[in-house]
Amino acid sequence: MAADGGSSSLQLPCVFSPKSRQFLALCAQDGRLRIWNTDSKTLHQEYVPSAHLSATCTCIAWGPCRTVKEGPQRKKRKSEAVQVEEKADLLAMGTAAGTVLIYSTAKGALHCTLDGAHSGGVNCVQWHPEESLLYSGSDDTNIVEWDLQTGKTRSKWKADRAAVTSLCVSPDGKLLLSAGHIIKMWDLDTKEVYRKFTGHSTAVTTLRFATTRPPDSNGLYFLSGAAHDRLLSVWQVREDGKDKNSVVSFTLTDEPQHIDLVTSNSKEEAVRLAVVCKDGQLHLFEHFLNGPCKKPLSPSCTVQMSDTKESPMPIPLLAAVLGADTRTVMLAYGSHLQPVMEKVEINTAERHVCLTRDVQTTLSLSMETTVSKVKTPIVNAKSKVLVPGLPGHQAPLKGTSQGSEKRKKDTDTKEMSIAERLGEIDLSTISEKGASKGTASLQTDNFAVLLVQGLESNDTSILNKVFQTRKEMVIKKTVARLPLSAVLPLVEELTKRLQGHPFTAVLMVRWLKAVLMHHTSYLASLPDLVTQLGVLYHMIESRVKMFHKLTKLHGKLYLLMTQMATSDSSKMVSDVDHTAKLVYEDESSDEDEASGDEGLPDEDSDHWEEDEAVEEAMTEDNQEESEDEDPDSRTESKANGEEDMEHENESEEE
Amino acid sequence: MASFKPTKIQVYPKLGEKVTQDTLYWKNYKAPVQIKEFGAVTSIDFSPVTPHNFAVTAFTRIHIYGPFSQEPVKSFTRFKDTAYCGRFRSDGQLLVAGCEDSVVRLFDVSGKVALRLFKGHTKAVHLTDFTSDRYQILTGSDDYTCRLWDIPNATELTTYREHTDYIRCGVTSKLNRDLFITGSYDHTVKLFDARVEKSVITMDHGQPVESVLLYPSEGLLVSAGGRHVKVWDLLKGGQPLVSLKNHHKTVTSLALSSNGQRLLSASLDRHVKVYSTTNYKVVHNFDYAASILSLALAPDDESIVVGMTNSILSIKHRKNQEDSKEIAGQQRRRPSYRVFVKGKNYVPKQDDYLVSKPVKQHLAKYDKQLRRFNVSKALDTALETWIRFRKPEITVAVIKELDRRGTLQNALAGRNEQGLSQLLNFLIRNLVDARFTPVLVTAAEMILDIYQSVIGQSPVVDRQLLRLQDLVEKEIDYQKDLLEVLGMLDTMFASSLPRKEVPCSGIGKSNGLTQGEPSTSKPQLQVT
Repeated sequence: MAADGGSSSLQLPCVFSPKSRQFLALCAQDGRLRIWNTDSKTLHQEYVPSAHLSATCTCIAWGPCRTVKEGPQRKKRKSEAVQVEEKADLLAMGTAAGTVLIYSTAKGALHCTLDGAHSGGVNCVQWHPEESLLYSGSDDTNIVEWDLQTGKTRSKWKADRAAVTSLCVSPDGKLLLSAGHIIKMWDLDTKEVYRKFTGHSTAVTTLRFATTRPPDSNGLYFLSGAAHDRLLSVWQVREDGKDKNSVVSFTLTDEPQHIDLVTSNSKEEAVRLAVVCKDGQLHLFEHFLNGPCKKPLSPSCTVQMSDTKESPMPIPLLAAVLGADTRTVMLAYGSHLQPVMEKVEINTAERHVCLTRDVQTTLSLSMETTVSKVKTPIVNAKSKVLVPGLPGHQAPLKGTSQGSEKRKKDTDTKEMSIAERLGEIDLSTISEKGASKGTASLQTDNFAVLLVQGLESNDTSILNKVFQTRKEMVIKKTVARLPLSAVLPLVEELTKRLQGHPFTAVLMVRWLKAVLMHHTSYLASLPDLVTQLGVLYHMIESRVKMFHKLTKLHGKLYLLMTQMATSDSSKMVSDVDHTAKLVYEDESSDEDEASGDEGLPDEDSDHWEEDEAVEEAMTEDNQEESEDEDPDSRTESKANGEEDMEHENESEEE
Repeated sequence: MASFKPTKIQVYPKLGEKVTQDTLYWKNYKAPVQIKEFGAVTSIDFSPVTPHNFAVTAFTRIHIYGPFSQEPVKSFTRFKDTAYCGRFRSDGQLLVAGCEDSVVRLFDVSGKVALRLFKGHTKAVHLTDFTSDRYQILTGSDDYTCRLWDIPNATELTTYREHTDYIRCGVTSKLNRDLFITGSYDHTVKLFDARVEKSVITMDHGQPVESVLLYPSEGLLVSAGGRHVKVWDLLKGGQPLVSLKNHHKTVTSLALSSNGQRLLSASLDRHVKVYSTTNYKVVHNFDYAASILSLALAPDDESIVVGMTNSILSIKHRKNQEDSKEIAGQQRRRPSYRVFVKGKNYVPKQDDYLVSKPVKQHLAKYDKQLRRFNVSKALDTALETWIRFRKPEITVAVIKELDRRGTLQNALAGRNEQGLSQLLNFLIRNLVDARFTPVLVTAAEMILDIYQSVIGQSPVVDRQLLRLQDLVEKEIDYQKDLLEVLGMLDTMFASSLPRKEVPCSGIGKSNGLTQGEPSTSKPQLQVT
């Protein structure tokens, strides 16, 4: 009913059914159409368009009320006389793919699909109030008139140079407003431009006729709202054509998202207007439309909603419609996935009203809050409301619509297709974001997944990345989270990598230890454990064989290097160290000394001689040793020699 | 005189990846030629006739490349939307392609405008192929139908509506004009017979099917979808034979090497895996820079063409055998092969008296020097740069031989700074190699003994000694860790096999720390 701008992608269509306001149709982020019953506050129907992911719903419009008993084939509208049986039934949805879906709430199923006329996405759909006609405006700059009796296009014309972003049919069904580059008013009989209006610099998202066409045509007014525009303009269509500028403008706090309007029936009654802005506030206006007014009008009442937490967060309002009497307003608020509908009475004497609602935790809560300024809701036993809680709906899905059938089948199948997965990506990323503040454990979980992937496809780059971790905790957690099937491949991979250079292999040992620690019982339970780990065992064994000798070599090196270091450092200082100078030769020390301290040449020269003597002795010893060893069988002598050396070293160290 | 025994070079088991025939074969390709296309490359098809051009479908274009051209020899651009699955007919004259706008177009390879348009599908057409009689076209679409079309009349012959999700891949039989196979996102692969109304065989792959492939014999079918590649036996009515899971992301494309010995699968995880078709083990693996969408092999594996999501087309050409031979021929001229084999294939008759001629021993340079007892020179030869880096086992064998003779000390002694640093470098490189450690530790100790007196004179040598020390320290730390692991393993073996003796029970003696205790449990507990 309410005009809805589908042009901005952030704006999700959300419309109350006409007349009795019995239903709220809402197309949420997941591309599904949900129809909520505003009386019982329950989910009435849910419909999943078959192409809800590729062709998202951009706009919704309720068809004029008609009797339910009428067969679905005959779409002729019943006369006004049978008011009682009249019910909102058909719902037109424009999609980004350029099709228009007609959904029947009476049948709970798709009524028909109108396609083939638009090459771009549909931005707006509007029903003709009398005949069974439907108008749609599209990105391809065309307006199409659909005949619902045949399901074919009746006419199609180019409306503008730019995309048609909004449409509105006058209440008497004679005129059509379209907004593209400029706002144009079309005569629907001839399909010719009747008037043009310029004034908005951005895309017009909202168009509404504010009056029924009175006998004197100077009194025809309409409203327009545009993207990023905080003014709602009122235009007067004057007989003399001097209607270049808007006559009145209403100030808002953000761009309009949903508009409801009650026209005045008499001169004494003001036009009432309820505008929900993008920031989630509701502004109520009352104004007599009688000619231009220079100053922008501010709202007579502003309604905001917040939750009951310690630091209140605003709850966005989604839509609002005015009730029959001046004080009641039907509000829809919360998330698009699970909106809360509520009829409230608002004290319009107050300029600012803040309502508090607990949408997070309460399962049923009051509906009829009386007034403004009240911080706690007053519970009314009669009404209940559905609130966002668990995902999925407790409310039964009515009817066997195609959509629900399809979903059921999908859950049966083993794995999702790409399309289904893509559908879930959005949700999953959101949830990840939510949890991302958390912990290192998530990080390691990812590592485990990465590791399994790397092992499966033998991807060296992935494996390198994983194995280069140095954090003990990360290694432990990753190994702990590893599925059992990946343990043996991991051990194999580690065995391969253990053979390398000690610098890298040290990291691998950590992994291996972690594996042995965490999966002891699993590994021990393997029947062929010995064959599985035999390679590893032999590898380690052969490598460790030389431990003894290497340690000795290290001792030797250590001694030599420390000797060198200490002699370097103590070069200039004390006499005591001179005795230990076994490894010095003349030239270098000469140079060093010369540069270091030239003051003591004599002493130095004395010591050199000593040094030389000692050196000679040493070398002689060595030679003797080697000569002794030579005739012997090599292996034994080597061991002996080494042991000797070891002893020597030790003594030297001491 | 007893003949000189050349130094025995020990053959050590190779570390790391084994070099097989396959790795040699699949590594024998040149560096890839990379061509930037206009969008993700969704399909590659080789023309069946020489010179084996190939059609590359990317975004709204189909480019045809010659076997060695880097520029397209031909391009079809008359698509209104993204094109899919450009395929050649068996005579290489016609090309068919589907499109996002649901129209199937048939091109003459030499022409530019579509010869025929096949309209009837309501959604994007991702599968197009010619039947083997060359007069019909198979198409499969996102509207869940697959259809057969007559080429001359451009009319629809049959429609099959059995799939319940997008049809994204398929193949026609090359032997029978009525058989074709389609794979769909409804997880099934169906074999159709055009003579029958319904599908003949249905195989449940378990994941949305991305690619199907028929063996040349057409007895086996390969399907790829999800992370699995599955092989089916068609002759047994679609019995699953093998299920392979060697990728960690969706497998997108399959190909057979030209002789049918190897199966290739490409995946979004950037790998191409080569399987042997006898045991279905992975025998080789290619890495690419981006997720792979399409893969094709030229006849005789002359080139591997891969299309990726980042719109790069990578073409690897096989290295030409003749090229390498020519280079070799230019380098050195030798007596022809016939000279060497002359008379070699002469088979002695029964009565022939055999005079055995002593085979002339060919000795390596270091062996010659060893024979002359030029130990120092032999070591120098063994330490020549090429040997030192490429074949350290030779150097080690020479050192070992010298050690056996007891002349290692002589050989090592008397080196200047450069020679010493060369030696030390070699030690640093190879000391921690478990195969060489026993020999090199001895050598290292000797070097230290000999050159003890000159340490501190040369900064180069000092630095190397420091590095060596650092290395040995690391290795010792590492071996300590390993010993701990060894203990853990001992415990594990002991607990898992109470009844049977562990085959490697020589542990106690060999690992040096545990003091020859045959009953394994006690020392292990100490280590853990």
